[in-house]
Amino acid sequence: MSRGAETKEEISRRFIARTFWVLGFFILLSFLLLLRATYLQVLNKDFLINQGNARQMREPTIMAYRGMITDRNNKPLAISTPVDSLAINRKNFLISPQQLNDLSELLDIDLQKLQKQIKANNEKPYWYLKRHVSTELSDKVKALNIKNLSINREYKRTYPAGELVSQILGYTDTDEKGIEGIELQYESWLRGVSGKKKVLKDRKFRSIENIGIIKTARPGKDLKLSIDLRLQYIANKLLKESILENQAQYGTIIVLNALTSEVLAMANQPSFDNNERASLNHSLIRNRAVIDMYEPGSSIKPFIIANAIESGQYDTLSLIDTSPVKIGKKIIKDRTEKGAIDLATILSKSSNAGMSRISLSLESDKLWEMMSNFGFGTFSSGGFPGEARGELHHHSQWGDIGKATMSYGYGISVTPLQLAQAYAILANDGIHRPISLLANQLGEGKRVLSSATAAAVRGMLEKVVGPDGTARKATVEGYRVGGKSGTVWKTSGSGGYTEDRYRSFFVGIAPLDNPQLVVVVFIDEPSGEFYYGGDVAAPVFSKVISESLRLMAIPPNYNTSPLPPLIADLNLE
Amino acid sequence: MSFFQKDLIQNYKIDPVLLLVILMLLMIGLITLSSASSAISENDFGTPFYYLNRQLFAVFLGSIGALFCLMIPIDYWKKIGPLLLALGIFLLIIVLIPGFGHTANGSTRWLKLGVMNVQVSDPARLCIMIYIAGYLVRRNRQLREGFVGFLRPMLVLGVASLLLLLETDFGATAVLLVTVLSMLLVAGARIRDFLIFLLSTTTILALLIMQFPSRMRRFSGFLDPWDENVVFNTGYQLAQSLIAIGRGEWLGVGLGNSVQKLFYLPEAHTDFIFAVFSEEFGLIGSICLILLFVTLIWRVFRLAIKSAKADHFFEAYFCIGVGSWLAFQVAINLGVNMGLLPTKGLTLPLISYGRSSIIMTMITLGILLRIYHELDSGYAPHSKSKRKDQ
Repeated sequence: MSRGAETKEEISRRFIARTFWVLGFFILLSFLLLLRATYLQVLNKDFLINQGNARQMREPTIMAYRGMITDRNNKPLAISTPVDSLAINRKNFLISPQQLNDLSELLDIDLQKLQKQIKANNEKPYWYLKRHVSTELSDKVKALNIKNLSINREYKRTYPAGELVSQILGYTDTDEKGIEGIELQYESWLRGVSGKKKVLKDRKFRSIENIGIIKTARPGKDLKLSIDLRLQYIANKLLKESILENQAQYGTIIVLNALTSEVLAMANQPSFDNNERASLNHSLIRNRAVIDMYEPGSSIKPFIIANAIESGQYDTLSLIDTSPVKIGKKIIKDRTEKGAIDLATILSKSSNAGMSRISLSLESDKLWEMMSNFGFGTFSSGGFPGEARGELHHHSQWGDIGKATMSYGYGISVTPLQLAQAYAILANDGIHRPISLLANQLGEGKRVLSSATAAAVRGMLEKVVGPDGTARKATVEGYRVGGKSGTVWKTSGSGGYTEDRYRSFFVGIAPLDNPQLVVVVFIDEPSGEFYYGGDVAAPVFSKVISESLRLMAIPPNYNTSPLPPLIADLNLE
Repeated sequence: MSFFQKDLIQNYKIDPVLLLVILMLLMIGLITLSSASSAISENDFGTPFYYLNRQLFAVFLGSIGALFCLMIPIDYWKKIGPLLLALGIFLLIIVLIPGFGHTANGSTRWLKLGVMNVQVSDPARLCIMIYIAGYLVRRNRQLREGFVGFLRPMLVLGVASLLLLLETDFGATAVLLVTVLSMLLVAGARIRDFLIFLLSTTTILALLIMQFPSRMRRFSGFLDPWDENVVFNTGYQLAQSLIAIGRGEWLGVGLGNSVQKLFYLPEAHTDFIFAVFSEEFGLIGSICLILLFVTLIWRVFRLAIKSAKADHFFEAYFCIGVGSWLAFQVAINLGVNMGLLPTKGLTLPLISYGRSSIIMTMITLGILLRIYHELDSGYAPHSKSKRKDQ
């Protein structure tokens, strides 16, 4: 080989040739790269963009809050407050010991317990570590920067008035769905409908761009109740005191606006705090004012009297024999013989014999029709969950005994609310207005009683609380009031009546010369010194009226003007 | 030192195309880096400019270095070749001594120098290229005529490769291999020797890949990054890179609008900066960038040919080394970004973040500019004749 003797020109020539090989190789590579780039960015781009979107696009829910419930003066009764829920969003959640420690401290969960919880949920791709923590706390948790722990904004229902209105309001579940009370009844009105949006997120799940709204969120609408929180408070307080004093089981107070039939207060004791869902006692949830029905006893009597007057068979001067009434084997008699007395006295002395005699003399179908016009046996409040209809048997099923006992409140069942509604008809000059739990929802009035009759019965009710009546303890200093007490034996489990367990009622109207309020007081099983409605329920009525009227700034009227003329001559006693 | 004053102000002959391409690539690099690194910088350091500022400073230092090299006669480099080889090997060794080296992502590639960590493969590569270029001039005949002449540079290469592999810098090893082999090829190595060596090294490399399970796994991740067992695992980075490139479509999502840089794509500001560039500038941008690199490499090879024609063989071999290095590293980086090659820890020259890398690249390019200057201005290449002139 003569290679060693190559000239520089030869070396140079070969150098240049081989340089072109190398260069050619690299140019080839660059073509490959250009082709690949074209493939990725033009031909395969849809696949790649979809893969990207699957990782980058999220469709988070836009939370909508639930409507607020307020009392008639816009005092909040139920509000939705933002809270955060801590969720773990992957299987086999891993966390450093330091972070675990911090987390257990922040959440106030025992370290071992927390570890166990994480272990137990190891297989779940998504689980809640803790729901509904305050936003301040979640901010602190966020600062721990724990991977795969997501913080979701939610709303939590809180009830500022707590046990005062809990039975009316009911409550919602953790997802803010109403499951009791008003929350259930007005679910579709209150509920917020969450929306959805599309966002671009970075890998740390921070939203970087709003792409658009898929579904708009609709917040729930507010609801204004007819309840006056101040009256509600008074009712609860007095009820509590009375239950304690009379060693009773439970009780109910309803305060109704006499003119509009709005419920101003509806208290049941004992009550529960609907903020504390965990320790829920189901017997305390019942809104007994609406759900439970009772035999009303003597508190039904004014309506039989009203029927009697309306029938034209009786007027305020009619005298009725109160000697024992014998129907088959049953004898209905009063404790003391009262002779022949007028309607007002029958009421104020609460004569069962007299009532029976009146009832038996009335036409059954007319009596039944009027009783149902008063609202007995029909729903009153327009859909309160679990509301009882009461029981008014059709007149064809009455028989003489049924017709007679009904006149003093046995064999007929009413809810306290129905009783309030019926008394409101008397207070409202014979106009029946549907009960409302919502403010400014004045229902259409319907006359079911002549105003003269209503006024006459009101006059008689005043006598009940008068010096000779059975409910003297219902009087209110400075106001004219009227009402009727009732005392009934509780039914025993075996179907008959117990001899030593009672229910005490008092239902009244105030002020009688300018009716504003109808109040029902019901006390179950008073076991103290007294058990008569006139002794147990009437004093509570008196206190409720006196405090409520003062609060409502209705001036007292000391030089009491005479009642309207129709009953002016009712002084036969 | 007299040549300094003489040449400093007087008209330098600069390759305008080379200089323009370098400046354009630097500009594109800084702009892309500012976008690609802003999120991670903000996240890690509270300011979006942390990496940009450091890179800007490196570019400043690199410019000074390049200007300095522009003033140093090539002859000087040629003379200190063996010394530089010693320095290069020394750097590769010292980085492996615990206490000197800095380990990141499982590789010990950086030398702690206080101010900054220097990736030793960059200066070592320059040193080896200079030494090999000198060797090829001195022992050209042995190279052409015997296997021994081929083996000696191979021995150097073998030692350097071994050291680089010990750092677990697989990418740098491959780049150095290709660089030196290209130089040997153009210098006239026998094709037979060449093929024997190429065959044996590729088998060794293949065996090495199979030896390391981590590399094997990377390899499988590269074959099908969308496989559901791989996509959140070894294929994750590649899948994210492909998504970024695909999202770019024709015209890109616009500067600063990359979504993939927002923590989806790891190493978005270093090894995978091309993916972010493609996402923001689209296919048009990708093509422009690739063509810019092609222009750069074409210019370097053109300079090699010009040097050879002028009998400046040291310069010619050196240029081939630089050109091959740049071309191969760019090709590997882009290939990795686009899923043509398994993931390597190789940066994109002049674009990726990496301070020692950008400084060494600019110094190397400074030497190339000097080569052009000496050729064009008729600067006497051999110190002897020049000294006689004076």
